[in-house]
Amino acid sequence: MDFLQFLTPMYLFLIFSGTLVGIIFGAIPGMTATMAVAVCLPLTYSLGLDNGLALLLGLYVGGISGGLVPAILLGIPGTPSSITTCFDGYPMAQRGEGEKALRIGIISSLVGGLISLAALFLFAPALAEFAIKFSYVEKFLIILFALTVMAALSDNMLLGIFSGFLGIFVSLIGVYDVTEGGNGQYRLIPPGTEYWLEGGFSLLPVLIGLFGLATILEGAEAGMPKGQSLKDIKVGEHSRFRWSVFKGQVVNLVRSSSIGTFVGILPGVGGSAASILSYTAAKTASKDPDSFGKGNPAGIIASESGNNGLTGGALVPLLSLGIPGDSTTALLIGAFTLQGIQVGPLFIGNNPGTWDSMIVAMLLANLVMFGLMYFAIRWLAMVVAVPKHILFPVILMMCVIGAYTINYGIMFDVWTLLIFGIVGWLAPKLKLEIAPFIIGFILGPAAEIYFVKSLESFGTLSIFFTKSWIALLLWALIIGSVVGSAMLARRKAQGQGAAA
Amino acid sequence: MADLFQVTVDFDRSHLIFPRLIGIILLLLGAAIAVSHRQAILNSGRMWAQTFGAMDKPRFIGTLILTVIYFLLMVPVGDLWPNTGLGFLICSIPFVALISILYMHERDARSLLPALIVAVVGPALVWWLFTYVFALTLP
Repeated sequence: MDFLQFLTPMYLFLIFSGTLVGIIFGAIPGMTATMAVAVCLPLTYSLGLDNGLALLLGLYVGGISGGLVPAILLGIPGTPSSITTCFDGYPMAQRGEGEKALRIGIISSLVGGLISLAALFLFAPALAEFAIKFSYVEKFLIILFALTVMAALSDNMLLGIFSGFLGIFVSLIGVYDVTEGGNGQYRLIPPGTEYWLEGGFSLLPVLIGLFGLATILEGAEAGMPKGQSLKDIKVGEHSRFRWSVFKGQVVNLVRSSSIGTFVGILPGVGGSAASILSYTAAKTASKDPDSFGKGNPAGIIASESGNNGLTGGALVPLLSLGIPGDSTTALLIGAFTLQGIQVGPLFIGNNPGTWDSMIVAMLLANLVMFGLMYFAIRWLAMVVAVPKHILFPVILMMCVIGAYTINYGIMFDVWTLLIFGIVGWLAPKLKLEIAPFIIGFILGPAAEIYFVKSLESFGTLSIFFTKSWIALLLWALIIGSVVGSAMLARRKAQGQGAAA
Repeated sequence: MADLFQVTVDFDRSHLIFPRLIGIILLLLGAAIAVSHRQAILNSGRMWAQTFGAMDKPRFIGTLILTVIYFLLMVPVGDLWPNTGLGFLICSIPFVALISILYMHERDARSLLPALIVAVVGPALVWWLFTYVFALTLP
């Protein structure tokens, strides 16, 4: 009954409010779970780690789940991870089964979230225990593997790898940290900017800029499209939801949740990949694949259990290896940084209370998400219609205050926010990938320490190949991910050429 | 053969090893991208022309200009009342109001009133929360 110690009124309030705000962010097209976590991260400063994580995990679960609302009612994915929910949810809403489709999506989200939570609970401690044995060599190769997997799954592998290394390069700006064994010398700092860039760019303003301000700039560029008016949103009052719709769908639920969890464990792969893979698998396994895309409930079940399956899975590499599973969990590193705690193989063993608290928070966030969404469907439909001209200016102000307060009031951090907001707006136009960039930026300083200290200790580059069988296995995985991705890209290009 | 991989790390210059290595990798990747995406790079002028042609310039450029002015004014205004956070509050109210108006599609009283109420209440609430509850200094 140790977990009861976490259940303070404040802890419960933060999970509830985090999940609620997350659902609202997810339900408004153009706003994402990542944005919700980025904007609310500064609030955790005064909350302590356990309470802060309770808020952020609520935002994460709520944000991923909320995306199904506009996907079903408007045919617009609220978050990238709910893109496949549109395929069958929207046709159902069109024929007056909106409420039924929403309830199917909500239940599937709950199942996906709970299965992935079980995977997190079972696998993360085991992986961490194994990773404790890693030396700097294996730790460096794990980071390299994370970057190559992420890049390999990008739209363009070359640009994905470039983005990851660019993130590492930007993270190296500033002093070579003495506390980590560096020599305290400056590098990559333009003359005259030493005062501001001594410590490099702070992580949180960079993240808030890339995920908060950049989204607002994209909205402004597109003319801040008008939201839907309430009268255009049809929930479908006459469509009764019955549990029998899940008859024969248990395999689909478990398969899709497992795919989502597995995709979450792969570093840097987003929720959209989880839902697309789950949806494709469900369609392939179906006896009636032609009905997919025309309002088949199995499509919603696959998509929503898949994307919520990501939530627990993405925390596995974060809490066992210190490598974020996706962009949103990358932001959670910010919460740990704020509290002076380093995530990695030692985290669970050294912080059993925080680990238990996170598991309880994830469980409660999933249950709160289900309760809020299942029983307040009509209110949710109204959230979709909240005007952006009211929300976005307030979010912009929250981004500014977050960047300013993160380091006790440094105005340069606010300018960092603007710089990386513009970078985040430019990146898709230049085909750069934000997820590998962020992972590179977060893991760059650690990669440097592991690399340089390995060379200092062993005096030979061959140590990265000969240190242990784990090093060899990691090289095999790195090469396999790059070669596999290149072959897939080539096959895709040939397929397109043949189609043309 | 083993000598080929031998490396001696000079601690005083060890801060340059990794940045140089990453820099070289970026140059090589950049060259590979330049070769493999040469057509897209050559056509980038057209892409940018389309981007700027389709852009809602008043809203996009207006956002950038208002944001820069907001950042520039916050500290000088705050210095008039040090350690009170009033620089943030005084600058945020017109900033939120102007951005709201900029993003509106119909600027009638029915749209303006809620936006202006949010522009006053939002910053005031955040200022109170951070100054008195979280005890964090704002500009």
